[in-house]
Amino acid sequence: MTTTTEQPPTMTEGAVPVEGPGAAAAREVPTPVARMWRGRPALSPGALKGDTVWHALIPVAILSLVILIAPVLAPYGATEVNPVGPLASPSPDAWFGTDEIGRDVFSRILIGIRTSWFAALGVILLGTIIGGLIGAIAGAFGGKVDMVLMRVTDLFLSLPAPVLAIAVIAAMGPSLRNTLIALSIVWWPWYARIVRGEVRALAARPHAEAAKLAGVSRTRLVLKHLLPGAAAPVIVTMSLDVGNLILALAGLSFIGLGAPPPAPELGAMSARGLQYLFGHPWVPIAPAAAVALLALAANLLGDAINRRLDQRTTR
Amino acid sequence: MGALVLRRFGALLAVLFGLACIVFVLQTVIPSDPARAMVGANASQEAVAAKKAELGYDDPLPAQFTQYLQRLAQGDLQSSLRTRNEVTADLREFAPATFELAFSAFVLAAAMGLGLGLLLAGGGRAGRVIRVFLIGGASIPAFLTGLLLIVVFYSWLGVLPASGRVGDNFIVPDGPTNLLIVDSILNGTPDLTLDAIKHLILPALTLALLPALAIARTLSTSLEQVSREDYVRTARSKGLTERTVLLKHALRNSSGPALTMSGLQVGLMLGGVVVVERIFAWPGIGLYIDQSIAYSDFPAITGATLLLGTAYVLVNFFVDLAQAWADPRIRTV
Repeated sequence: MTTTTEQPPTMTEGAVPVEGPGAAAAREVPTPVARMWRGRPALSPGALKGDTVWHALIPVAILSLVILIAPVLAPYGATEVNPVGPLASPSPDAWFGTDEIGRDVFSRILIGIRTSWFAALGVILLGTIIGGLIGAIAGAFGGKVDMVLMRVTDLFLSLPAPVLAIAVIAAMGPSLRNTLIALSIVWWPWYARIVRGEVRALAARPHAEAAKLAGVSRTRLVLKHLLPGAAAPVIVTMSLDVGNLILALAGLSFIGLGAPPPAPELGAMSARGLQYLFGHPWVPIAPAAAVALLALAANLLGDAINRRLDQRTTR
Repeated sequence: MGALVLRRFGALLAVLFGLACIVFVLQTVIPSDPARAMVGANASQEAVAAKKAELGYDDPLPAQFTQYLQRLAQGDLQSSLRTRNEVTADLREFAPATFELAFSAFVLAAAMGLGLGLLLAGGGRAGRVIRVFLIGGASIPAFLTGLLLIVVFYSWLGVLPASGRVGDNFIVPDGPTNLLIVDSILNGTPDLTLDAIKHLILPALTLALLPALAIARTLSTSLEQVSREDYVRTARSKGLTERTVLLKHALRNSSGPALTMSGLQVGLMLGGVVVVERIFAWPGIGLYIDQSIAYSDFPAITGATLLLGTAYVLVNFFVDLAQAWADPRIRTV
């Protein structure tokens, strides 16, 4: 064992871009084990599993709950017609006015926000699971498996994700489910990179060596001793990605690659309202503004989570 | 540098091959029947079967793959189901408009990113205001930017046009480049040049905004990091002005991440052209894709995907080389 000559741990290998998806990976986020190695007090097993990491997600859960129940406040259903008539201006009876067939824009926006938010979370989750699995396999096996998996990952990272997503949805047929699948297909490589890097870095640490010597199986080694260390950087990346995904989903929905009408999707609502921009600007602008607000909330939350976990790991 | 160029070129070819493979996989999993779509809904079973055999859809997959690669190598992207033209011909018609738009937006994004990034790193009150603006700005979808710009500059102020490449009262020249601004200058029609530039401003600005913010953020972060290095402190302690330190000493060494970011943002822009071209009725590849989606015109969409994907890979190839040129330390990697 070469533990006595271990360098202070550094972050993932390979060049990771500084912004965009996977932004957090570029920054140095030492793992809990890394902190231990620097002579800090030994951490309890709870901390090793990253309990603090999960606490940082509480605001996300609260916001999700609010978004989930907000449509209760909607005075009308998604396809229900407001009696004030079509293309009515904003008024106390129709807060954001009505669209060309008299549906209440405010109600449709509340429901549309719910779709956008959970769709974005769904893509992140799916992307993390796929990427995490591939990254963990690559990191744990190393050698040829690692090389092949990382070449595939690099290929996806070398292609324009939005264009690829458009092609995938167009091939499978436009629907919300297919949009989620397509975005996950272009989103996982970032997570594969991060997880693989963390797993590789942790596998060289003394606790992993000790576990190996104790005869722990490879599966258990990866699941119990290596993957938990990747939680913090992955969660930071996830939280910074939600805003980007909300924008990506809205853009795809705008060009008709989302749930088919009459589903209240923010991007599609804005696109269909485009022709009323001059007489009735609220029809296309209100849903677009809702996308901006939702993405802003996500970006502020992501920023907060990022700073909090940063504090935890660098102090 | 020569070895680096060769190595990167090899990677470029590998990625392009990968792109072709991905598109092939998409073609084989597509649920709709392209043969039926081509001969029409009322065609007989025999006609569909004959078309299928002609297109090679009955062959085993490896044979289909070789055929597909051969066709690609010859620049044959099949025919569009909507326009009934060769996809290659369609793309050739629409590509110049998109190139004009994307190129202007890229230059605009790089310039705005550089300016904002330097202002941010310069610190002070301006830096703080811009930081707030950056977080807010990064949350605005491109279509909201576009709509607001149209409302302000077309509807209210009436100073800029909001749709198309050129006004109706102009005759569009036949070439030689099909880039309207370049052609109008070559043909010596300054009125047309001015009109084309006016039409370009709003869509280019819409497309450039998000990438500009991302570039600015990256640049300011790396400028801050470099500013802490010893050689920058030396430069400061020599009594150089903050401006000289920033521009002459720190900027070149911080340009790497910003260049990488610029290259990555091209991907976002190529996806964004579909949205922006639809809003501004800009007759380019994006509008072509947008219209093809409505018709499930898969040959057209794959053709456009191959073209945009190749453009993206090429841009990033040159960004890589630019980075190596700016920072000799990278050349050994």
